[in-house]
Amino acid sequence: MSVTDGTSGARGHAVLVARGVSVELGGNRILDEVSLEVRAGEIVALVGPNGAGKSTLLAALAGDLLPVAGSVEVGGRPLGDVGHKQLARERAVLTQEHSVSFPFTVREVTGMGRAPWRGTPAADEDETVIDAALVVTDVTRFEHRAFPTLSGGEKARTSFARVLAQGTGAMLLDEPTAALDVRHQEDVLVQAREAARAGLAVVVVLHDLSLAASYADRVAVLAGGRIVAEGAPAQVFVPATLESVYEYPIDVIVHPRTGQLVVVPLRHVGEQAPASAAVHTENSPLEVDRA
Amino acid sequence: MSVDVREGANRLAVGRQRPLPTNDTQASGDGDDLPPRTRRGRAAILFVALSVALVVVALVAAGSGQLRVPPLEVLGSVLRHIGIDWLPGPSHPQGDAALWDVRFPRVTMAMLVGAALAVAGAVMQGIFGNPLADPGVVGVSSGSALAASTVIVFGLTFAGSWTIALFAFAGGLVTAIAVYLLSRSQGKTEVVTLILTGIAVNAVAGAGLAFLTFLGDTQAREQIVFWQLGSLNGTRWQYVVVVLVLVVVGIAASLSFSRKLDLLSLGDRSATHLGLNVERLRAVAIVVVALLTAAAVAFCGIISFVGLVVPHMIRMIAGPGHRVLVPASALGGAVLLMLADLVARTAVAYADLPIGMITALVGGPFFFWLLRRARRSAGGWA
Amino acid sequence: MRLSTTRVTRIAIAVCTAGAVLLATTACSSASDGATGATSAAVSTGTIADAAAMTPDELRAYQGASSARLADTALTPVATDPTPTLPVTVTDSQGTKVTVTDTSRILTLDVYGTLSRIVYELGLGSSMVGRDTSSNFAEIADLPNVTPGGHEVTAEAILALSPSVIVTDTSIGPWDVILQMRDAGIPVVVVDSERSLDNVGALTNQVAAALGVPDAGKTLADRTQQEVDAETAAIAKVAPATEGEKLRTVFLYVRGQSGVYYLFGEGSGADALIDGIGGYDVAKEIGWEGMRPVTDEAIIAAQPEVILMMTKGLESVGGVSGLLEKLPALAQTPAGQHQRIIDMPDSEILSFGPQSAQVLDAVAQAMYAPQQHPVAVSDQ
Repeated sequence: MSVTDGTSGARGHAVLVARGVSVELGGNRILDEVSLEVRAGEIVALVGPNGAGKSTLLAALAGDLLPVAGSVEVGGRPLGDVGHKQLARERAVLTQEHSVSFPFTVREVTGMGRAPWRGTPAADEDETVIDAALVVTDVTRFEHRAFPTLSGGEKARTSFARVLAQGTGAMLLDEPTAALDVRHQEDVLVQAREAARAGLAVVVVLHDLSLAASYADRVAVLAGGRIVAEGAPAQVFVPATLESVYEYPIDVIVHPRTGQLVVVPLRHVGEQAPASAAVHTENSPLEVDRA
Repeated sequence: MSVDVREGANRLAVGRQRPLPTNDTQASGDGDDLPPRTRRGRAAILFVALSVALVVVALVAAGSGQLRVPPLEVLGSVLRHIGIDWLPGPSHPQGDAALWDVRFPRVTMAMLVGAALAVAGAVMQGIFGNPLADPGVVGVSSGSALAASTVIVFGLTFAGSWTIALFAFAGGLVTAIAVYLLSRSQGKTEVVTLILTGIAVNAVAGAGLAFLTFLGDTQAREQIVFWQLGSLNGTRWQYVVVVLVLVVVGIAASLSFSRKLDLLSLGDRSATHLGLNVERLRAVAIVVVALLTAAAVAFCGIISFVGLVVPHMIRMIAGPGHRVLVPASALGGAVLLMLADLVARTAVAYADLPIGMITALVGGPFFFWLLRRARRSAGGWA
Repeated sequence: MRLSTTRVTRIAIAVCTAGAVLLATTACSSASDGATGATSAAVSTGTIADAAAMTPDELRAYQGASSARLADTALTPVATDPTPTLPVTVTDSQGTKVTVTDTSRILTLDVYGTLSRIVYELGLGSSMVGRDTSSNFAEIADLPNVTPGGHEVTAEAILALSPSVIVTDTSIGPWDVILQMRDAGIPVVVVDSERSLDNVGALTNQVAAALGVPDAGKTLADRTQQEVDAETAAIAKVAPATEGEKLRTVFLYVRGQSGVYYLFGEGSGADALIDGIGGYDVAKEIGWEGMRPVTDEAIIAAQPEVILMMTKGLESVGGVSGLLEKLPALAQTPAGQHQRIIDMPDSEILSFGPQSAQVLDAVAQAMYAPQQHPVAVSDQ
């Protein structure tokens, strides 16, 4: 298995690094001098409002986009120096859309994740890895169903199985929880957590802030193409920060039983809109160094 | 669940907060739910069946024609050609000539052209990610034919028998590239765009052919008109040689990248993430499609629907994996066209029906059915 | 020397589109357009010399279409079962040296049926093993038709007839099939594909030489030439003498409902026909070559006074009234206004060959004595 062996669980070396990355699409500056490090063994969540540039940052880290300024490194080397095939062995990407143009089965689609390892010794483990990936994403029961016949959530889980099967040292997940029900949402993040524990570097774009708060080791909040806050969830998920970013009253509370941070919008359904936000916690948001 | 899988799950460092699911791994009764062994089994049976069919149909085709030669005499003739005199040769004075100068080259050509068209269809469908892509439907055959027609009308012979093949290849390549560029948007090819592009390309090529028909003298005119419907009449060994070379190269190339075509079905972005150089694969595949189409069109005119029907039937039986699809399509196409040609040359006494008409008679209704099915399962024009 | 298909297209100068005509009339091969009951009224027993020819003024004033029909379509062979001198080696019209050793099974292929007629007139008719679609005279009608589609042959079917010699011009294809015949060891002699009055003799001699009967060939060629010469002289007595008085004549090929019609010009055979009957060749005036589709305006500008057509073509548009309906442009021409349409069976009108003189005579009679040859094609 080609999982990076950072078994001590320690936050290891930087696997994906973006330095001062700016991306322009169609003349618009989507990312403006963004720097971010994702290390082995940790989960970094990217959150922020629509259009903040989260998916774009993910794409830049994945090597899908060429930044107009700044650089991206994978495994210590600049992206441009790493060939297609080698890159496929170092990072796996889960995109937002899941479509397969021909009726390949779930198992076959998952098996496509093993493509980068063809011709290498790792290919011997293909079947085992595929089996495990199918089990872990709970799609084994329809592993012989044709992919286009699945529901949105089933497709998403299958695609995640494919990403897991790719067995790389870094995983980039773009809104993996979008189509999933509660149980499967938790599953995906549990898997991400386990992967990180096994030494992978994981970057996840999430909309659900509570999920991010619970599972991420670090959170980067993007707004308007910039990282406006970065750090541990407890430091970043501060109502003041969130409210200014999302332009909506948001509260952060501690779950009475689990002790997890829960991020909720302040809803006054049936009453008039509230004045300002609510309970502030002690901590104040950290300012991030723009390194 | 077997122990292996559990171990594998553990190796993925699955530290679950709840127990692993136990026995909900039953297939849920859908027709596509086949364990891999059965799908592999199906593929094996398919190959055996197709190979047997190929041999049987080849023998039947070699033994049938407007000059009656009983099967034993056919066999006798073949044996005599390799020096074995056990069986009597053909009793008809022209029997031997009919077999070796007329029928055998034609049957061989039918095999080669059928295989070429079917594989071209399969590869094209893989690149476009759409089961409706076929060199004829999409216009590549017309473009090839247009270029080849200029050779006929202007009497170009600078490369002997290869002249027309060269032009057919160039025409097919230009058209394939044009269709590709025109019909893709945002990394996907929609059915509607593909078909409309095909209509446009066919219309333009058709106009070109009409113009050439006008320019040409009567001989050229008749040749082009008949040729637009496809015909293997007049196949001679020197043409078979040219086509053989092109088809062998084309199919070998297709086999070499058939696995990569599977990845394309995930979409350009995901395929790239998995290490595939998408643009390069596409470029190579388009050249291969043009090559195979040129091989088919250069001497036999436009024959449509083989590239549509055969790969689709194979997919229905053995799934969309290209490692099976490409070679099976080659076999299936060879069988289909040999049968169609058999009908073309024996149905009406003294006459030769245009083979494109026969494949269209079968393929046309099939195309309609395919469209309806795609529409239903995709839930709309997607 | 092997010749590719492309060479063929260069060599064939101009070929009548009877091929296209015949493609659409697959089943008509048995129909004899010659002396059927309905057309007997058009057949006269005399020649142009006996006909009551009109003056040019009368001709221009005359209203009504006429049909040209051969008085007598019987064959008159110059020899009875002549013995060919074999083997014979000839250099055919493409320059290929061909050696013929056996003429017991002859097959001729050309889109007009001229060659088969020549073979019969040479007295070798009993050796023919098949026919092409245009050959529909009584003596040959029972032989298998190898070009049911009109102008295409298939190799195996011909091989099944086991011909010992094939004589063809290049009007029947595909050329590859003809080459396959050579591959199979059958001698194929290619003769001139041009049809005109000038080379009737030459064509006859080419066929005769290939079949080992040059003497009979010479006799036939001479006879035909004499007939043609006599006929031309007879027509000259009747036709207007000066250029200005000659009737402006065009040959139109029309088919069915399509509205597309072809004008036959230089090299199509129509030019020779029009010259032969003493008409004024309008296509020559406008420099029209070959057989090409013509526009309404061009026809109106040409102002033809007489239109020659093939019988099947006229039938396919529904007779004269149908023609005028489908091609309204004709109403702007003298020919249309006076309905001066002359039709003749497809397999005769441009075939030339041994019956050239008779064909000229029939057309001339229909041209200059139309009142004696009212149109035999009914309107629909």
